[in-house]
Amino acid sequence: MKVTLSFFLLFFLIQPFVWAQTILTGKVMDEKNQPLPGVNVFLKGTFDGGSTDAAGNFQFETAESGTQLLVFSMMGFTSQELVIELTAKNLEIPALTLKEEFNELNTVTISAGAMEASDEKKSVILRPLDIVTTPSAMGDIVGAFQTLPGTSTVGNDGRLFVRGGDASEVGIFIDGLRVGNAYGTTAGNVPTRTRFNPNLFKGTFFSTGGYSAEFGQALSSALALNTKDLAKRSQGDLSIMSVGGGYSHTLANDTRSLTLSGNIFDLKPYQGLIKQDFDWERAPYGRDLELAAQHKTSNGGLWKVLARTESGGMQLWQPQPGVSDRGMLIHLKNTYSYAQTNWRKAYENGWSLFGGVAYSRNKDVLNLGPLAIERTNELTHAKWTASYDFSDRLSVKNGAEFFRNDYSEALTKENLERSFDDHQSYLFSEWDWYLNRKLVLRSGVRAGFSTLADEKWLDPRASLAYKISDHGTISFATGRFHQLPEERFRVLTPSLKNTESQHLILNYLYQKEGKTFRAEAFHKSYDHLVRFEGILQNPQQVRNEGEGFARGFDVFFRDRESLKNTDYWITYSFVDSKRSYFQYSGQVQPDFAPKHNLSIVVKHFVPSLKSQLGLSWSFNDGLTYTDPNRTGEMNSKTSSFQNLSLSWSYLPRPNLIIHGAVTNVTGHQNIFGYQFAQVPNEQGRFESMPLGQGAPRFLFLGIFHTISKDKNANNLNNL
Amino acid sequence: MKKSFLTLALAFACVFSAFANDPAYDSAMKKQLAAMKTIQTSEESQVVTNGFLRIAEVKNTEWLPLYYAAYLQTVAAFRFEVNKDQYFDQAMELAKKAEKIAPNHTEITALQGFIVMGKLSVDPMSRGQELSGQAMQLFGKAIALDRENPRAITLMAQMEQGMAQFFGQGPEKSCGMARMGLELFAKEEAKINEDYLLPTWGKREAEQVASACK
Repeated sequence: MKVTLSFFLLFFLIQPFVWAQTILTGKVMDEKNQPLPGVNVFLKGTFDGGSTDAAGNFQFETAESGTQLLVFSMMGFTSQELVIELTAKNLEIPALTLKEEFNELNTVTISAGAMEASDEKKSVILRPLDIVTTPSAMGDIVGAFQTLPGTSTVGNDGRLFVRGGDASEVGIFIDGLRVGNAYGTTAGNVPTRTRFNPNLFKGTFFSTGGYSAEFGQALSSALALNTKDLAKRSQGDLSIMSVGGGYSHTLANDTRSLTLSGNIFDLKPYQGLIKQDFDWERAPYGRDLELAAQHKTSNGGLWKVLARTESGGMQLWQPQPGVSDRGMLIHLKNTYSYAQTNWRKAYENGWSLFGGVAYSRNKDVLNLGPLAIERTNELTHAKWTASYDFSDRLSVKNGAEFFRNDYSEALTKENLERSFDDHQSYLFSEWDWYLNRKLVLRSGVRAGFSTLADEKWLDPRASLAYKISDHGTISFATGRFHQLPEERFRVLTPSLKNTESQHLILNYLYQKEGKTFRAEAFHKSYDHLVRFEGILQNPQQVRNEGEGFARGFDVFFRDRESLKNTDYWITYSFVDSKRSYFQYSGQVQPDFAPKHNLSIVVKHFVPSLKSQLGLSWSFNDGLTYTDPNRTGEMNSKTSSFQNLSLSWSYLPRPNLIIHGAVTNVTGHQNIFGYQFAQVPNEQGRFESMPLGQGAPRFLFLGIFHTISKDKNANNLNNL
Repeated sequence: MKKSFLTLALAFACVFSAFANDPAYDSAMKKQLAAMKTIQTSEESQVVTNGFLRIAEVKNTEWLPLYYAAYLQTVAAFRFEVNKDQYFDQAMELAKKAEKIAPNHTEITALQGFIVMGKLSVDPMSRGQELSGQAMQLFGKAIALDRENPRAITLMAQMEQGMAQFFGQGPEKSCGMARMGLELFAKEEAKINEDYLLPTWGKREAEQVASACK
């Protein structure tokens, strides 16, 4: 009884305090001194509070008294706290300013040299889906990037050529780890493709210069592919194509997922139906097996594994100029394995850690007429990075990397072999400093060491971006880049040092609801390029003596807004490049750097047909070549390259896609260069043969069917 | 004497458990829930959202205030002329906070699916492929967590309806789900009294889907 009584007493005693109400008033402004509506103003530890109105004013009543903490909070803004004394009936708080936090939406991003494809970020140029639906790409990642600024199409090669650089100058990375032999091995003039399926990736980052200190061993460009996170559901995917087929099965739950896929491709049946200009003994064929696994660890980390093994080959007769028979038989067999694992975790205290290891092994068995060659290339890459956000204005990323590169090539019949083994170590550090929301400075440095070249080097990099308006950004990037020569040269002359390039880039980017305009000007210098005497098939006196430059500009316009259900982009790239390299003693325009490059991609969705129609057109003004019947090096140019491709994707049901595509619809006679006889004929002329396309057109037809085994989905089907 | 002492102790236990229920929290929640029904503008929505956020600040072990704040942000993005992406992102941030307090909760999971659906609606052409799967998965999970959750099934019915329209298929699947959702709403209504704080929204949406049927 006593207890209850004291409760009652306590209750009555408290009451008088409760009656002492205080009315708080005040005003909240933003950094531009404009009233800020919607701010939550409250006394910490109580339910008492209010919100600012359109004029930034707030008012609320409280029964609390004494010393209190007044909190001003709004999402996206830095909260503020104020110690107040509640004594009088009214309390007016002096006007207060809330500062907006720096985030991706309101803060400038560096766009010089960079093109991102992702669903998550705003500053994207190309979305993952675009890669699959660009008609000329035929589902190849690199094929889609060939429609972007700064690239040129070299139709008989298939690889990525960026701003006057050759294909080996593009570094390809998966989850930040270098991929050795990312393209399939090919022979003759048969264009190659990337080995990896675009469906593996959630986003890509493609840089045409001036890129981050995180990437090295790439003179021209970095293409970073990021694999998907946890799979959404268990499912099976079946594909039947005019060139092969495959099946992929995914098992998934909340914390882990695993995808296993197998594919075969064989162009033999296709080539049986459609006449080819190349003289095939055996059409290209191949099979692959791939495993991708993701695991979300209980402490919030993400662990990934990707492994792939494939084998394939081809046989073809290569006619020789001045010779009337079938020419030389080229027989190629290739086996390739790639495995990588990585782990990442972001901690709440501002740290994010990453660690990963990748290994690739490529083996080519190549017969060129009587010559039997065997090549093996192994690359191991280990990388650790630690990033730390000091605040929303300053962050740092530090990393350490280790590479091991084993390469050997042998003439099997003669029992001759040569090889090298190189160990490289790198350290890098990069700082992002937001001076304000409009201005960001990124500066980094990368240090490297190679045992084989016995060389140490340092690459400083810097970029700056300034937001000039709500939708426009100007950025500037510069840096030094080093890359060791290709394996085929290093094995001849192990003492070869790094080749070197310096980039200077000025970029303007305008982005507004579905429209993107991008213009970029650049200057690149090249130094210590590989030069040799003789011919590429048999180089002598290989040395770091070449130099050159590339300069030019490119413009890009994309519009997904103005025309209904239509998305199109137009790209024009101008490159003026000259270099002394390989056998060329003077500075010449390389045969992979056409001056004018134009491409147009249009995609139109027709709801009534449940179809997406695609068109892409690429043009360049021709490739240089040396005609030995005339004086000088690179003294001639082929006629222009043109390719008009069309595609039709039909979605009759959510889980069924039928995709058809045709390249070079007009059958334009594209010539990529000429092959000349080694010795002149009786009239003293070097006979030649054009290097053309394998066939005027390529046709593709594929059916992709998804079989969902999701338990919930099944249950719902029964409702 | 001893017996009466025990009854007294029991009575006290009841009083204290009522205290644990915190009448201040209950009345603060009820006040905001009542205000929620009168929202006409994005400003009014922000005022109520802020109210819930204040409760969340004090009662940091309760998921409901965060849930309602996230729900209001989502609805505001659908209803009013605001920066939709920003609103949906903030809603997701709040829903993730609620999830930390109550992991694997059917209502929070369903709400997260609703937010993903909102993100999708901003740019269906380019986000559709990625986000429709994500939304369906969240609705599926919410249903698996509680087969009686009418909101989870209604939201899934909405998604199914949209997809069927896009692919020109019949409405059978979405209609079945909407009917089931309405049954569950009726069941839920029986439980609702003036002290009911848990989510009750979604009946209108179920009726909307159902109206396209027959």
